[in-house]
Amino acid sequence: MTEYTPVLVLAAISGAFAVFSVLIAPLTGPKRYNRAKVDSYECGIEPTPQAAGGGRVPVKYFITAMLFIVFDVEIIFLYPFAVEFDLLGWFGIVEMLLFIATVFVAYVYVWRRGGLEWD
Amino acid sequence: MTAVTVVFAAMGLVALVSAFLVVTSDQIIHAALWLVVTLGAVAGLYVLLAAELVAWVQVLIYMGSVVVLLLFALMLTRTPTGPGSATVTRNQPLATVVAGATTVALGAVMWAGFGGEVIDEDEVRVGTAARLGDAIFRTWVLPFEVLSVVLLAALVGAIVLTRRGER
Amino acid sequence: MSAVSVQAIVGAAPSPIEAPDVDYATISPLLIILGAAVLGVLVEAFVPRAYRFVTQIAVAVVGVVAAFVATVVVGAGLDTVDGEVTGRGGPTAMGSLSVDGPAVVTWAMLLFFGLLGVLLFAERRLDGGLSAFTSQASTPPGSADERHATRLRIEHSEVFPLAMFALGGMMFFASANDLLGMFVALEVLSLPLYLMCGLARRRRLLSQEAAMKYFLLGAFSSAFFLYGIAMVYGYAGSFGLAEISTAVSSQIGGQNLLLAGMALILVGLLFKVAAVPFHAWTPDVYQGAPTPVTAFMAAGTKAAAFVAMLRIFFVAFGGARWDWAPAVWAIAIITMLFGAIASIAQTDVKRMLAYSSIAHAGFLLVGMAGLTSGDGVTSVSAVLFYLVAYGAAAIGAFAVVTLVRDAGGETTHLGRWAGLGKESPVLAVAFTIFLLSFAGIPLTGGFISKWSVFAAAWDGGAWPLVVVGVVASALALFFYIRVVVLLFFAPPQGDGPTVAVPSPLTWSVVAITVAVTIVLGVLPGPLLDLVQQAGAFVR
Repeated sequence: MTEYTPVLVLAAISGAFAVFSVLIAPLTGPKRYNRAKVDSYECGIEPTPQAAGGGRVPVKYFITAMLFIVFDVEIIFLYPFAVEFDLLGWFGIVEMLLFIATVFVAYVYVWRRGGLEWD
Repeated sequence: MTAVTVVFAAMGLVALVSAFLVVTSDQIIHAALWLVVTLGAVAGLYVLLAAELVAWVQVLIYMGSVVVLLLFALMLTRTPTGPGSATVTRNQPLATVVAGATTVALGAVMWAGFGGEVIDEDEVRVGTAARLGDAIFRTWVLPFEVLSVVLLAALVGAIVLTRRGER
Repeated sequence: MSAVSVQAIVGAAPSPIEAPDVDYATISPLLIILGAAVLGVLVEAFVPRAYRFVTQIAVAVVGVVAAFVATVVVGAGLDTVDGEVTGRGGPTAMGSLSVDGPAVVTWAMLLFFGLLGVLLFAERRLDGGLSAFTSQASTPPGSADERHATRLRIEHSEVFPLAMFALGGMMFFASANDLLGMFVALEVLSLPLYLMCGLARRRRLLSQEAAMKYFLLGAFSSAFFLYGIAMVYGYAGSFGLAEISTAVSSQIGGQNLLLAGMALILVGLLFKVAAVPFHAWTPDVYQGAPTPVTAFMAAGTKAAAFVAMLRIFFVAFGGARWDWAPAVWAIAIITMLFGAIASIAQTDVKRMLAYSSIAHAGFLLVGMAGLTSGDGVTSVSAVLFYLVAYGAAAIGAFAVVTLVRDAGGETTHLGRWAGLGKESPVLAVAFTIFLLSFAGIPLTGGFISKWSVFAAAWDGGAWPLVVVGVVASALALFFYIRVVVLLFFAPPQGDGPTVAVPSPLTWSVVAITVAVTIVLGVLPGPLLDLVQQAGAFVR
C-alpha cells in the first residue's frame, strides 16, 4: 500500500486547496448581489424551470450517453493492454486491433445513419 | 490495527451510509448523486484490497458513465425530479425485509466461506493492470473479443430505439 | 495464484508471453456467425436503403449456411476421447470453448433454428409488403410520424444482424467451458433478444411492454447468475468447469459457498429456460414480441440455455449432484404440472404456446434429473433430441400464427381460430401436427422425445418424475385435443379466420418443420444415433 502514500498526499492537498478556496472567497471577496448572480449557471442560456417540450429532454441525448459509455469501456481495455503491450507482442496488437475494429464498426454505423448529427 | 484497516473501515462506513441515503433520499437526483459517493467509496475499498485495475474501472465506468446514463435516463422520462420524486410505493416495508434477509444470507455465506482469510496487502499484487492484461490477452482472449460484440450490439440497439430520420 | 508467483510475473524483466493457442478451424462456425453479424452492421452503414433489406437477408442466410457447413466439417473431424464415458472433441481457444459432441450437435441445431428464424424475419408479403417489424421504433405508436415512416417504407433491417448476434451468443453459451465465458455469452444472446421483442409492427404498446418486462427480469436473472459465478469462484478459485469439478470432488473449502453459488446459477438458468417459479415473463413476452422473434427465441434460447445448464451441472457440479438433484426434481414437477394446467385456461394462441413452452421446460428437466450416462439413452442425448423436436415444432407453430390474420394484424384469440380447418385445411393440419407433437402423440417427434427423456429418467431412478410427467402429458393432451376440435369442428365466428397468402419463405418454414416433426416421429433412428454418438461433455 505504501506506493499509494503520494497519491493520498496529493489528494489531501488538492482537497484542502478546494476547501480553502471555497472558504476564503466569502471572507475576503466583495459582496455585490444581482439577478444574474443568483441564477443557476446555464452557459449564457436563459434558464427555464423545465426542459422544452414538457420537461422531457430529447432522446438524442441518449445516443450521446451510449456512445460515451461504449467508448469508455473500450478505453478501459486499452489500459491493461498499454501496460503489457511490450510483453504481448504481435498477437496482443492483433487482438486489440480486432477489438477496436469491432467497436469502430459501431461508430461507423452511428455516423452513417446520422446518429452524430445534431439536427 | 494498521492504518490500512482504519482507512478500510472508514471507506466501508462511507459506502454504507451513502448507500442508505440512496434508498431513503427524498429526491431522485439526490439519490443518483449519493450513488456516486457509494461507488467511489467502493472503488477505495478495491484499491485497499489490491484490486487496482478494478478500482479504476469502478471510477471510470461506474462513477463516470453509469451514473451519467442514469441521470440521462431520468431526464429522458417525464418523471418529476423535485422534492418527493423518490417517494416509494407501499411495498417499502416488504422491500426492506427482502433486502435485509438477502444481506444477512449473503453475508453469512461470505463469512462462512472467507471468515479466516488474511490478505497481506503489501505482498499481494493480483489486481494490477499488468497482471490483468496478461490474463485478458492470453487466457480470456475469446470472451474478450466477444465482449466487443456486446458493445456493438448495445450501440446498434440504442440507434434502433432512438433514431428518427429517413436514412 | 499465490502471492509468490504473482510477484515473479510482475517483478521479472520483460520477457515475451507466448501467443495463446487458438484453433480457428474448430471454432470457425462461431466466428462465421459473429462475422456475419458485424458484416450486417456494415451493410446497415453503407448499403442504400432500397437494397438494404434484401442484402441483409443474403448476408444472414449465407452466414448461417456457411456456419452450418463448417459445423458439419468440425463435427466429422472430432477425435474420440475415451474416459469414464465416451466423448468427442475437447476444449480449445485457451480452454474457453469445449467443442465436443454435444456442443457441435447444439451448434447445428441452433443454426437450423436460426435459418428458419431468418426466413420468418424476411417475410414481407403478409402485411402489404411490410415486414413484421415496426417502421421506426422511435416514433410513438399511432402517431403521424409512425404513419409517415410506414408510408416511406422505412424498415428496421437491423433485426438481421441482431438475430445473428443472438445466434452467436447462443452458440457460445452452449459450448463455453468456463463460467466467465458463459456470462459473456448470456449477455450476447440476451441483449439483441430484449431489443427485438419491442419491435412489433402491430400492437406496439404490448410489444414494448413485453420488451421492458423481459429486459428488467432478464437483467435481474443475469445478476443472480453472476453472483452465483462469483461465489463458485470464491469456492473453487477458478472459473473453468474442469477446475471447479476437481474442487467439488475433493470437497475443498466451505460447502456453503458452493451450495449458495450453485443455487444462484441454477436460478439464473431456470429463468432463461422458463421453468416455474421463474416463468412469469414467458406468456407476456411470447405474446407481445413479433411472432417471428417469438419463434426464434422459443426454440433457440431454450436449446442454448438447456445445453449450458447440463454442461455446468454435469461437468462442474457433477460431484455435488446429490445437493442439486432434489431442487431439479421439485422444479421439474411443479413446472410440468403448472405448464399443463395453466395452458388449459388460455384463450390466446401465443399465450397457450408460451405455457406449453413452460411445460416442455419441465419435461426437459426430467431428462436432466435422470443423470444417466454411458451407453444407450443418456440424459444428454435425450435432452438434445427433445430440443430438436420441440424447437422445430415450436417454430412451425409460431409460423402458422403469423398467417392467421384479420384487419388488425395477426388474430391470436383462440375463438377466432374456430373453423380454420374449412378456411385452410393445409394450415390447420400443419398446426394439428405441431400440437400433437407437443402432446407427445406417436408418429410425431414429440412422442420419441418424451419417450427418450422419460427413459433417461427411469434408468436413473427418477421414476416419480416419469409418473408425474405422464400425468402432465395426459392433462396437456386433453387441452390440445380441444384446440384440434375447435379448428376442425367448431362453427366459425362471423366470417371466420382469414389466412394470408405468404411468400415461399413462410411456406417453406411450415413445410420444413412439418417434415422434421413427422420424420423424427417415424424415422427417429438417424438423429437418435447422432445424439448418442455425440457422447458426453468433454471438459
